Amino acid sequence: MRCEQVKSLLNDYCEGSLSEAMRERVEAHLRGCAACQREAQFTQAIWRGLSAMPEVVPPPDLHARIMTHVRANTRAREAQGRVALWRWAGAAAVAAGLFVMGFFAAQSDGVQAAFGFGAKPKPPVQTPQPVQAGVFLEYRTTADGARVPVLEARMNREANAELRYAPESDSNPIVVWSGRLQPAKTVEIPLQTLLHTSGERVLTLHWTLEGQSRVLYVPAGYPPAKLASLRLQAKLGDALRQLASTYQTPIEWVPNGAEPLVVLDVQDATLEDALQKLLIGSNYTVKRQGDFWRVTSR
Amino acid sequence: MSIYDYSSDEVLIERFKEGDEFAFDLLVRRYEQKVYQLAYRLTGNPDDAADVAAEAFLRMYNSLKRFRGDAQLSTWLYRVVSNVFFDFRKREARHQHLPLEMPTDDDDEPYELPIEDESVDIMGHALQQEQKRVLMEAIQQLPEYQRVMVVLFHIEERPYEEIAQIMGLPLGTIKSRLNRARNALRQLLEPYRELFGVEESPTTGVPQEASDAL
Repeated sequence: MRCEQVKSLLNDYCEGSLSEAMRERVEAHLRGCAACQREAQFTQAIWRGLSAMPEVVPPPDLHARIMTHVRANTRAREAQGRVALWRWAGAAAVAAGLFVMGFFAAQSDGVQAAFGFGAKPKPPVQTPQPVQAGVFLEYRTTADGARVPVLEARMNREANAELRYAPESDSNPIVVWSGRLQPAKTVEIPLQTLLHTSGERVLTLHWTLEGQSRVLYVPAGYPPAKLASLRLQAKLGDALRQLASTYQTPIEWVPNGAEPLVVLDVQDATLEDALQKLLIGSNYTVKRQGDFWRVTSR
Repeated sequence: MSIYDYSSDEVLIERFKEGDEFAFDLLVRRYEQKVYQLAYRLTGNPDDAADVAAEAFLRMYNSLKRFRGDAQLSTWLYRVVSNVFFDFRKREARHQHLPLEMPTDDDDEPYELPIEDESVDIMGHALQQEQKRVLMEAIQQLPEYQRVMVVLFHIEERPYEEIAQIMGLPLGTIKSRLNRARNALRQLLEPYRELFGVEESPTTGVPQEASDAL
């Protein structure tokens, strides 16, 4: 084989796509030809260099720049988008394993404290009842064991509401849900995707409920997915204090009667699992309430 | 499966088709790094790359309704980015003459070994940095189609079949174009052989006959 021939086969040779016989012929030539050998080395070195190119980090304003360009060149469909939200919920969210946003007729003043809409409590009979609502995050374990955050609102009557999400603190919030809130009606909102999108930042959700607006700040990584390993034996109150500090999550305890001695031994456990394990055999039970855990007697 | 994988592209595309802007926002977030990266590697500068990326997503917005899911969304987006890149270059070409040679006004001299530096690590690092810079520059000198081939195959490491889909060309054409692109790149890098650890130039001009035993 001559140098010219070998050179024309060099790419295929380096890629390993030559037939066995061809490869052997090229290799035989390379053994005796330093110049072609260098060519092969050079080719391989170039390819190695190409595949070792570092990831490109986009500029921080890339997303804003893209969205500005898109919005400037398309007709604003945001207003129409609102109409689709109920459908949005129904269509694909179930398959996608997103969250349930439940609206309950029942009111819970205690829970409402977390993100309550502080409306006047006494409804006049003649005029429309002032809307009362609490919006907060729940945290549920699905049948297959996945932990999903649930955005839940409770209100006393039907009301128009809108949920917006601001990707950046200075960007215009995008409407992610809007419609008529109805007690006992359930829709789904991809809050989990929002939480993921927020990355390390605090997720900011803007709620508007018949003119009243509230901002909901959700810490990154909510609900806390932190795992910890603990081994302790203590009085229940002390154990709970220890857990709250380890997982950096508030725990509310409603003591009832004598304080039992508890034993905890968990490894890489979530707070929920740790609490469940801690309370086995006691007459206490745990439930998530908004952004904190609540331990009460059964 | 991570809990964040729940909303597949298909689900988000469906939602967008139903008029949900937010789904589009999420799709952009999902792919903007990849799109920007490809755009940057093709254009070689951050500003043009952001322009190409923005235009690519605008085209996605306008044509997503017709997206039937025959290909992966990422493949489809690569195709859009390549097309936007070609269009941008055409537009540029109408306004200016493109340099045919490696830029000579570069303040960097051809690579010089930092012989005073005794630290092997620093030297190795500098070498790598220089190699990357030279590679990027050489890629920018390739004709557009060859550039896309080299970037998609060697840097983005897409398989032949996907590149054929991206370019809308038969596999054979892709392979022969890549072959030409590789040769052209090697030629452009000829002055920088040392940088790739290959010491001397081959005896250029004189056709070399190997002492061919076989």
